[in-house]
This record gives sequence, C-alpha cells and structure tokens, in this order.
Amino acid sequence: MSEANKAKLSNKASVREIFETATEFERVAHAFYSALIPNVSKNIRWLVEELAEEELEHVELFTKLSQDPGVEAVMSAEIARPVADGRFSDCVHTPDLGIDPDDQAVLQYALMRESAAMDQYTELAESTPPGPLKDAFMFLANEETKHKAELEKIYYEIVHSGGV
Amino acid sequence: MLSFQPDRSQYPQPGPDGRLEVDLETGKYLKLWQGPNHPGITGNMSVELTVCGDEVVEGKTHVGYLHRGFEKLMERRTFIQVFPIVCRVCVPEPDFNEYCYAAAVEELAGIEVPEMATWMRTLILEMGRFNSYMMFLGGISGSLGLGLVGQWMTYVRDLMLDRFEELTGARIYHMFILPGGVRGHLPEGFAARMEEVLQTAEKYLADVDRVMFSNSVFRLRTEGVGVIDPALFERFGVTGPNARAGGVVKDVRKDSPYLVYDQLDFIPASGKDSDIFTRVKVRRADIDNSIGLIRQILEKMPKSGPVMARLPNVLHWKIPRGETYIKGECSRGEYGYYMVTDGSGYPRRINVRGPSYTHAMALLEHLIPGTNISDVAALMVSLHTYPPEIER
Amino acid sequence: MSLREVLTPFTAWKHVLDAPVTIPDPIGREAAERYRGFHQNDMETCIGCGTCEAICQNGAIDMVPVEGQVTEKGDSGLRPMIDYGRCCWCALCVDVCMTGSLTMSNEYTWVDTDPDAFRFIPGLEEPWKDKEAGYRREGGRELSGTKRSHMGELAPALRGDNFSEICAGFTREEAILEADRCVECGLCVATCPAHMSIPDYIAAVRDQDYDRGLQLLYETNPFSEVCGRICTHKCETSCAALHEGDPIAIRWLKRHIIDNVPMERRLELVGGAKPANGHRVAIVGAGPGGLTAAYDLAREGCAVTVFEALAAPGGMMRYGIPEYRLPYDALDRDVAVIQAMGVEIRCNMRVGRDIALDDLKRDHDAVILAIGLQMGRGTRIPGSEGPGVEKAVDLLRRITAGEDVPVPERVVVIGGGNVAFDIARSMARLQKATHGTVGVTLTALEDRAHFLADAEELIEGAEEGVEIIDKRGPQEVMRDASGAVTGLRSWAVTSIFDDQGRFAPAYDQADERVHEGAMVIEAIGQMADVSLLGAELTEALDWNRGRIAIDAGFRTSEPWLFAVGDAVKGPDVINAVADGHRVAQSVMERVSLQEGIS
Repeated sequence: MSEANKAKLSNKASVREIFETATEFERVAHAFYSALIPNVSKNIRWLVEELAEEELEHVELFTKLSQDPGVEAVMSAEIARPVADGRFSDCVHTPDLGIDPDDQAVLQYALMRESAAMDQYTELAESTPPGPLKDAFMFLANEETKHKAELEKIYYEIVHSGGV
Repeated sequence: MLSFQPDRSQYPQPGPDGRLEVDLETGKYLKLWQGPNHPGITGNMSVELTVCGDEVVEGKTHVGYLHRGFEKLMERRTFIQVFPIVCRVCVPEPDFNEYCYAAAVEELAGIEVPEMATWMRTLILEMGRFNSYMMFLGGISGSLGLGLVGQWMTYVRDLMLDRFEELTGARIYHMFILPGGVRGHLPEGFAARMEEVLQTAEKYLADVDRVMFSNSVFRLRTEGVGVIDPALFERFGVTGPNARAGGVVKDVRKDSPYLVYDQLDFIPASGKDSDIFTRVKVRRADIDNSIGLIRQILEKMPKSGPVMARLPNVLHWKIPRGETYIKGECSRGEYGYYMVTDGSGYPRRINVRGPSYTHAMALLEHLIPGTNISDVAALMVSLHTYPPEIER
Repeated sequence: MSLREVLTPFTAWKHVLDAPVTIPDPIGREAAERYRGFHQNDMETCIGCGTCEAICQNGAIDMVPVEGQVTEKGDSGLRPMIDYGRCCWCALCVDVCMTGSLTMSNEYTWVDTDPDAFRFIPGLEEPWKDKEAGYRREGGRELSGTKRSHMGELAPALRGDNFSEICAGFTREEAILEADRCVECGLCVATCPAHMSIPDYIAAVRDQDYDRGLQLLYETNPFSEVCGRICTHKCETSCAALHEGDPIAIRWLKRHIIDNVPMERRLELVGGAKPANGHRVAIVGAGPGGLTAAYDLAREGCAVTVFEALAAPGGMMRYGIPEYRLPYDALDRDVAVIQAMGVEIRCNMRVGRDIALDDLKRDHDAVILAIGLQMGRGTRIPGSEGPGVEKAVDLLRRITAGEDVPVPERVVVIGGGNVAFDIARSMARLQKATHGTVGVTLTALEDRAHFLADAEELIEGAEEGVEIIDKRGPQEVMRDASGAVTGLRSWAVTSIFDDQGRFAPAYDQADERVHEGAMVIEAIGQMADVSLLGAELTEALDWNRGRIAIDAGFRTSEPWLFAVGDAVKGPDVINAVADGHRVAQSVMERVSLQEGIS
C-alpha cells in the first residue's frame, strides 16, 4: 500500500491536502470533458460542452482561493477527512468511455462524479473552520447539488424520452 | 231588459252583403272609437263603434296593436329556445302556453314526463287560472265603475304571485314548465304558505260576493245584457265559462282529462242565462273550484320523485316529422297548440289557439249591436278577453 | 231588487280602518330563494365554452376576452358578457352551462344612468357577485347527456391468448347517442395538434352523413383510421363535457366514421391529386409524419418517394403498436389511400445502407427525414448487458415481423409507459398461447396515479393477468452461474421528483425485492438512430440538445433537408400528422421558390 493511500485511510487530513485534491478533481474533470468534446458526435456535444464549462468555473474558483491569504493561513490545519473522500479521490482518475460514447454513458459518468463531489463538499463545509474556505466549500456543495439535480432532469428527459 | 228604447226604424238597412250602409253625412250616426287606449278595453285592441244616440248600431273589432309575430319567431328557434318565448303569448295566464308547448314537444318527440312533474304542472295551471280570474273580477267590476274590487283582487293576486315567485323563480313569466318536465320541486313549507293565501283569498272573495252579486247596480247593469244567442256557440267555437254560462257545459279538464285532472274532484260551474251576470257568476264559482283543486293537488301529489325526463342534447334536438294538437281548459276556454314538425331542429309551424280570438274578435261584433255605449266595455270584459293571445 | 241589495255593498266600508297591504318602500325587498335575478359567473370554473351563448334565444350573450383570463387547454379564455337589454331571464344559459359556473342571484334592482352598464360581464365586480340566494339548476346538467355511450369490447377471457382487436367500435345507434352529447364548443379543436374539425365530423355522425364526415377527416388527417383507434386523444381531456360527466368519445366517433365508409367510396371522396408539377421529394421513413407529408405533397402534384427501412410501411404504427390495439389491415387502408395519391413507398430500403442520403439529395428537390425513435434505451444497470435482457421496441418489432421471440414463463418489464404495456400485454398473450398461463411483472418508477401509460392500459393489462408493481427502481438484473437471467432486483421508490418537479429518484434500500423472470424487458425510452446522416452531415447540421435543430417550418439548417416526427418533436401519431402537414407546406414553399428562380 502506498504512502498516499495510507494517508487516505487515516481519518485526519490537512486542509492543504484536501484543497489540492479538490482542485485536482475539478481540473481533471474540466480537462476530461474538454478532451471529450471533439470525440463525441455533434448531436450530444452540447452536453459535454455544458459539463466542461461548468467544471471550468469551479477550477477558476479554486485558483482564486489559492491566492487568498485567508485561505493560505489555514492550509496546514488538520480537519476530519470526509467519509466520501475515497469515492471523490477516485474521480481524479478519468474513466475510458470508449470511442464516441453516447449521451447516456456521459450522463451516467457525470452523475456519479457530481454525486461524489456533492457529498465531499457538504462534509468539508461542515468540518472546515469558518472563513473564506468554508464559504467556498459551502458554495461548491450547493453548486454540485444543483448541478446534480439538473443532470438528473436531463437524464430523465433524454433516456426516459418518449415514455409513450 | 234595456231601460233605453231607441227608435230602430231610424237605423240604416243592411246592404246585399249584410253590412250596414251608414251615411255619416246625415248626422244621425257617430263613429266612436273605444280603444286602443281606453280603460274599458282589456289590453291593446279597439272597437270601432257606430252609434245612434246612446245605442250602438254596429261594432267592428280592430286588432294588430300588439302583433309580435310569436308563431313566426317560434319557427326560427330550436325546440328548447321556443320555451322561453311561449309564455309571452298570453301575459295574464302565461303557463298554459308553457304547458301546451311542452306537451306538444313531448308527444312528438316521444318523451315521458315523470309523474311528479305532471302534478306540479297541474298545480301551476290552477294557480295561473286563479290569478287570471283575479284580474277578471277586477276588470269586470272596474268596467262598471266599481274600482274597489280591482284593488282587492290585485292584492290577492299579488299574494299568489309571491307563491309563484318562490316556486318558479319568477312572478309573471314563470318559465317553469319546459319540455321534459318542470324546473324544480316545491320549496320547503310551500303548502302551508299557499293555504294562508287561499284563506286570505276566501275572505276577500266573500266581500266581493257582497259588493258585486248582492249589489243592485251591478245586477241592473249586467242581467240580460250581452246575451249570446245559442246558435252562435257552435258557429264561433265558444268555449269555457262563456259557453258554460249559456248551459253548454264544456270543460276540457272533464271532457278529455289531461295531466292529473282525472284524479281530482270538481264540478265545472255552469249557468243558463248567458248574460254578463251569469258569465261573471260562473267564473266566480270556478275560482272556488281552483282553490279546491290547489288544496287537493298539494294533498295528493307525491312528496318526492324526479321532475325532469332525460332529454336529448337540446342544442341539436331534432324531432321527427309529425303533427299534434294539445289543448287544455284555461280560464277563458279551450287553449291549444297545434304543432307540426318536419324532422329538423325547428318547429315547422306552431299555431296558438287562444279563446279570445273567437270570443272577442268575432263573437263580440255580433253581441254589440243594440247595446248601450256604456255597456260595451263590460260586455267585452265579460267575454274575458286577452288581446295578446289574439295576436300571436 | 230588494233593499238588501242596495245596502249590502256598503259592508265594504268595514275595511276603512284596515292597515294598508301595500309595501311602502319596495326597494330592498328580498326576492325568493330561487328567484331568477342577475347573473353570476365563477370565473375560475368557467371554461369559456360558449354553450350559454349558443342556447340564448335572445342573442343576449357574447363571449368576450376578459383581462386575467388566459386561453389555455380546455379554456377558450373568453367569458360571457350579457346584455340586459336583451336578456329575458329564462336561465337556459344556467341550465345548459357545462361546468355549473353560471348561476343567477336573486338580486333584481339595478339603477344606472349609463345604458351601457347593463351590458356586463358577470363574475367581475357586480355587487351580487357572491350572493348565495338565487337560481341554481336542480340536479346537475340535464340539457345535454353526461354518460358515455356503450361500446362493445372483447372480454378478457376471449382476448388473453390472441391478438384480435379488443374494441368493436360503436354501432350506429351507439354512435348517434354519443354524438348527440357534443355541444360543439370546439375546445377540442384547439387542443388537437392537427386541429381536426371535431364538432363538424361529430355532427356528421348525428346526421348519419358519413361521406361528409370522411371528407372532414381527410381535410386534416390521412391517418384517421389509425387515430380513430390509437390516438392519444388529448382532445378528450379538454372536452367541455368532462366537467360534469364523461368527455365525448371523440376518438371512437372518428373511428366510427371511417368504419362506415367502404374503401372504394373513401377513395372516391378523397379524390385524386393535382397534375404533376415536376418536383421530386424524398422522404426517409414511412411513419405517420413522413406519410402525411407524402400525402400532402403528392396531392399537390409532387413525385414523392418514401424510403422505408423495414419490410412494410407504417413505422411505429405497425412495428410498435400491437395488433390488438391497431389491426394491420386498418393501417393498410390508410396507407393505401396515400399510395393512391401516387406516393411510391420503397420498403426494405434503409438509407445509409441500401441507398446513400447523398443520392437522395442529388435526385430530389427536397428530402424529409421522418425517422422516428426506433432504438430502445436501456437502464444500463448491472447485469443488463447480455442475453435475456431485451428492449421493448426490438421485441415488438420482431413480433410484428412474425419472427420467433423467446417466450419464457416469467418475464419482467421495466417501464410504466404505453410501450411498456404494449410489450407486457403482447408477452402475456404469447405466454398464454404457449404455456396456458401469464407470468408478466411490470415494474415502474412512478406510482399508479402518475403512470405515463393511458389509464385503460392499466385496467386492461391487469385484466389480462399482468402484475403491475409501481414505485420500483431497477438495480440489477440477476443472473445465475451460467449467466442466465433469473430476475430483476429493485428498490422501493420513496419519491421520484423533487419539490420543483425535477426527476430526482430517492430509494428505500431496505425495501429490496427480486422480481423473478427469465427475461427482463426494458421499456424506459427510445432514441433516434441518426447514423444515416454520416459524420459530415452530422457535423454540418445544427443541433438542439441532441435533436436535429428545426425551425417552425421543420426546416433544418441545410436548405434541402427537412425533419419531422418523433425524432425531432414527438410524442405521438397525431403530432406527427400535424407536423407532417406543416413540413409539406414548407417543402412546397421551397420547391415553388426554386421554380421562381429557374
């Protein structure tokens, strides 16, 4: 078992560690969706484009936070490691959706990610000391919840289409 | 018995066509119009009188002042749309139009009316007859200068209108009897309130008996006046109290019972002198009949049950080709609707037979000659004339 | 004459001291409880059907727009305005009112110096607006029928093992009775996507003029025989009669007309096409959208060729809807009329395989894509890949094509729409015929009240032995060691939509069940197979959230290409028919324009 994995098993983590994983999570997602855009058929490209755009906003949010002195001050603090962390960290690794994945596959993957992110940020927001970082996590938790609900609606409309 | 005996040798002689040749230039004769705007005329018609002194030599009836073309209007309306306009054919006793029209439609369309509705209809018709007689008594006494009875009867009629209002939702044009049945049940406590009205009416009618029939002036002015020659009954289709006062005992309610009259007890009033006095007497007795009938109906009628039959969709109701004549005994005599249908959504022809048509328009011309000018109004009223039913 | 008769009349003097019987001030005297006074109208209950206007013999009622009342499904947005210069207070308008919104108060005095004030809209601000007393019709709506006419149907015992048509259709007597109930308000016309002349053809049934009825049907719908059987009949959900009784059976009356006109007469009545105009149009897909466009264009004189991938025309009408709902010969007759207009239908011609879309583009003035939603969606839950799991649309297609389909004794269907019921009831029939028993379990996310399927599907499906289990979320297709399907594992659904009505299923994982079955059929949704477009055209076209982007005239971003039907709009036959007419119009505009240029 690698050191990194051992660290993940412990129930404490530094804010820096959590912050970096989250940044990575959003960055990887943005890169993944961006790379996927030209590889999907044009008729479902709108979906991937929307997803990439969404993630980019989150990356920008983290970049801004990292330059915030208030955030820097709490970076070395230890906070409880979220239960959802494992699932969340796994999402840093992008899956292989195959050549020309269809809308349902993309949606299912996105839903899984949103669900993990929603749980992660919710827990983080609860355990982070008050300050700009807590606000950011709360904002993200809220964002991901809305995002997930939106994706589920799209999923119902597309997959359960023509339920006649 | 006339108190005034004119010199009849002075009268003009009838020409070959039976009409009088009146030469007004001689100054012996005068044309006198009674109506159309005259308190002695029961509505919008007029009588053109030729008088010689006080005596009327000739009387010609004129109608047309109230023509609304109802029969034609009916031909342009669907079967349900005719329903609201028929009552307007006769203002003082509108319900007969509603009944006759509804019954004609029901017969031609093959609709069976629920039993409850037939009792309600009978009740309405008797209430209507009662009110019609109230107006008559006021009219006949008024035409002889006895205004008091008119005031009393207007009050009693108004009490009955209150009952109409609570039962039908309207005072004059009730629009309650429609093809298929009637619009509703009796309101709670209706019979008790009706009984109050009837008792009040009886009290006032006793007074009427005293001031009219036990009144020497009234008797002098009406006895032996306006006698209908028995030969005219058949010729002019005289019906109702006008016929019964002359000994011709005809009453559609008895002769060919409709609605529930066969389940009710009454004896049509009659007389034999056929003058104004007897006609008024017969009607007065008929009021008692109506009061008794209303009481019987309220006692015998079913307490619950449907009042409307299932109708087809009235918006495009078509009635098969056919014809029928529905008649009933209204306060003036035989009232009838002759209806022809051609399978379309509109009646092809409806003819309303109102008794005033024969009584007041045709028969009256034969009764007028020889009477005193001042008796013409009473004579006309005694025939119980409703001009609206003449002009349909 | 006695002295008594001279004196007696003087007894009247006894009344001299009586109190007067007259009412000194009649203003304010309360009228009777059921007095027919001034009108009241409950604006919310009123649907603006105008039946009051129709029955008014005085012409006193006009239906007018009213601020705050919107035109929507089942509500014209108009409200009655009554002219008291004409009204005779007969209350027929109250008696005939379809919703009971129009009543009368017992108020009867109204003074105003403005004569126009007496032409008013009840229900706005009149002082007697909320008065309780007044005329109300006794015992509901009686001037037009409230009960739907009877129609013969095959009893469950007689239909369980075969695909015979269930509904017998109205007899003439039944149809006349049903047609009689219509009040001709026309709210249905606005709701029908094709705006069929519903009140007029119902009137034709009443008049027993089936020729006229058929001509009216063909004015707006060349698939009247199909729609007369399987239309989603949204018209009946806006029928004025449904407020106090059953809505008019519009769908069955349409079928009744078609059933009563022999085929030769139908062709005669529909008449021939206009002379050829030299334009050529290709249509991809012989479903209701494509064939309606084909019918219109052929009648206009275009040479129309329809390319159909499957062996027979009809699309989902043939390969989706089971025969017990829509017999093939009924569909064949509708198609035959279209073919009689000169439309050439080339079956077994899959565009992209047997012929290239480019070829169609080259040889025609315009191409219409009417490809429908032919591919079934899957749940993609664990175990759903592999044999034993089928898509409903695939199975239905194979049943229609006469192919052998596996008929295990127990089958589980996922889905609660009409397609799910179509396959469940088809499989039930095959099971009954093969095994003598029915073993179909249908599971759906929705609760019974919110099934997407028509209500009669639930009733008839249950009658035929389909076990319907609502509120189940599929989790896994269970397989034994050999990989054979043994059932479906599901969780109970605690809620399916969030408080904003968005899809957000929540499950109760403790309530887990396994529905036994050797086959699982997914009937959750469908999608269009757009592979025929090819990469280049896919790239060139504009798209709108997964569907080919079209404008109001069903034009795609490529001027020669049009698209119609479920693939771009959905969701049913009558919509496809309506859109078929519109796309045909757009195509005609394009070809006429080309004519002008050349």
